[in-house]
Amino acid sequence: MKENKMKRVMAFLMAGLLAAGVCACGSSAADSSASSAASAAASKPQSTVSAAGSSAAVLAESSAVSEAISAAESQTVSEAAGGVGSVGIQILYEKDDDMKNTYSLEAVNPDAPFKDADSNPVDGVAINSEGAKALIHWLTSEEGEKLGASYGKEKFGESLFTVLEKAPVYKGEIAKAEEGTKTIRLSTTTSVNDSGLLDYLLPVFEKEYGYDVEVASAGTGKAIAAAEAGNADLILVHSKKQEEAFIEAGYSMKLDGYDAERISFMYNYFVLCGPSDDPAKVREAATVKDAFKKIADGKYPFVSRGDKSGTHSKEVTLWPEDLGITTDQESIANYTDWYNYSNAGMGACLMMANEKNAYILSDKATFLTFVANEGNVES
Amino acid sequence: MGSALREALQMILSGSSLLGNIVVVTLRMSLASSLIALAAGVPLGVLYGSASFPGRKILLILNRTFMGFPPVVCGLLCYLMFSGVGPLRGLKLLYTVEGMIVAQVLLLIPIAAGMTESSVEAIAPAVKETCRGMGLNRRRTLTLIIRESRYQIVTIYILALGRALAEVGAVSIVGGAIAYKTNVMTTAIMNDTGSGDFKTALALGIILFLLYLVLTILSSALQGRMKR
Repeated sequence: MKENKMKRVMAFLMAGLLAAGVCACGSSAADSSASSAASAAASKPQSTVSAAGSSAAVLAESSAVSEAISAAESQTVSEAAGGVGSVGIQILYEKDDDMKNTYSLEAVNPDAPFKDADSNPVDGVAINSEGAKALIHWLTSEEGEKLGASYGKEKFGESLFTVLEKAPVYKGEIAKAEEGTKTIRLSTTTSVNDSGLLDYLLPVFEKEYGYDVEVASAGTGKAIAAAEAGNADLILVHSKKQEEAFIEAGYSMKLDGYDAERISFMYNYFVLCGPSDDPAKVREAATVKDAFKKIADGKYPFVSRGDKSGTHSKEVTLWPEDLGITTDQESIANYTDWYNYSNAGMGACLMMANEKNAYILSDKATFLTFVANEGNVES
Repeated sequence: MGSALREALQMILSGSSLLGNIVVVTLRMSLASSLIALAAGVPLGVLYGSASFPGRKILLILNRTFMGFPPVVCGLLCYLMFSGVGPLRGLKLLYTVEGMIVAQVLLLIPIAAGMTESSVEAIAPAVKETCRGMGLNRRRTLTLIIRESRYQIVTIYILALGRALAEVGAVSIVGGAIAYKTNVMTTAIMNDTGSGDFKTALALGIILFLLYLVLTILSSALQGRMKR
């Protein structure tokens, strides 16, 4: 039988492949996959979101959102019961200085006080500092910053990131990849990765300088923890407090030509989203803190990331201080009737907020992607 | 759902490099880990099921416990071993497909061994008696036991492969779901759900299901030929 032969051939192929992989034990196998990854990345995958680009552009205007959404709702009431419902939540509050979301880079210090799981010191942790340096140089170069600031225009009709006025501009030479510095391990937050910014930027850098950037994404807390375990060469995160602790502990190093370990270079805004009828009336709030107070006072359902991510860290600073809400799970023990500590990614939380008609703090990029995709599912 | 299915078909037909890479990495990982686990687990299971030696019962209980070992814990242990500060950091297996294979093999061996044991156990006494009657040596006896269990072994393989394909806890921790490198179908579905891209997640889910369907059909065809 034909299938039978195919199956045998496949089995042999896989066994051979694996034997080669095991013999090479990682390094050479990693190289071969790296080169294929580089060539694949160079072709710059077009995200599936682009089809919905035009509708997202309309939705970005918050006044237009409710109209578009109510139209979508009326068309798709029957489908809403199927799980993937229409988008009932929208941006209610944005562009408050307290919602500024600053992204920073930190190079991992190869001589950092690395510790193993038992807190014993560990020497000789391999960190690709040269690669980290090159990527930071490029991201803060005129080319990198200009490209970063243009991201989102095509996809969502507006820039998703803005270059900080005080951002350093690197004008020197950027080192090209060499044998030992080719692979750069970047540990970043889900919001950066999910926004698609890195897919947009990194292929340009990789092509020009010959590096291969491996991006691992998790909430800021986990991204930093990965760097502390020696599993990253640099981090790109958005939680000042956690970054300062990371630097304080000696895990980061200052690069020549930069003022400090923490290299802040871009920002955008978090957005407060909620049901379009806005029962807490946060639209009328004077400040975002006032808006959060209204939610807490009225005990309106709120979905929190609850994963110690940058978004979570930001959110807990916006509640009235007397509530005592922190990123610790115990701190919300008295508010479980309205506060949902969900421990999930941004998209999953938006889904939850949508289902529960709850308020939620989101980074703008993920929210726009969420809206764009939901719109497409219903069409 | 209807549009998600359309989307899935479009993704497959468009031959996107991203999707292609995810499927290739998934296949490479799950086929390798299930085959290695089978190669190691079946002899172990035959041993459990046909030989009698001191400590066999304890080993069997241990093996059965490990059959239910939580993948995330296995992933965590591998992460701690392979991490930049871990004792096996020299192997450089963290965030590689090989590292993911190691984690999966550790999870699958007890399953392959335990399942083999239960099917060998049932036939071993009869086969052994026949072989003794025919004056066959130990090696021929064991070979015959494996031959007689080949139908079940394919079923065990399908189970192990399914588990390898569906597993997400261990591979996301050890592999890190790095795009174009260690991102497999399950971790990609997790990531897309996390970023709110439910359409792609659903499409990937459908593809994963179809992939397993095809592999099961192939394995069943092999099994069918064995029976005849």
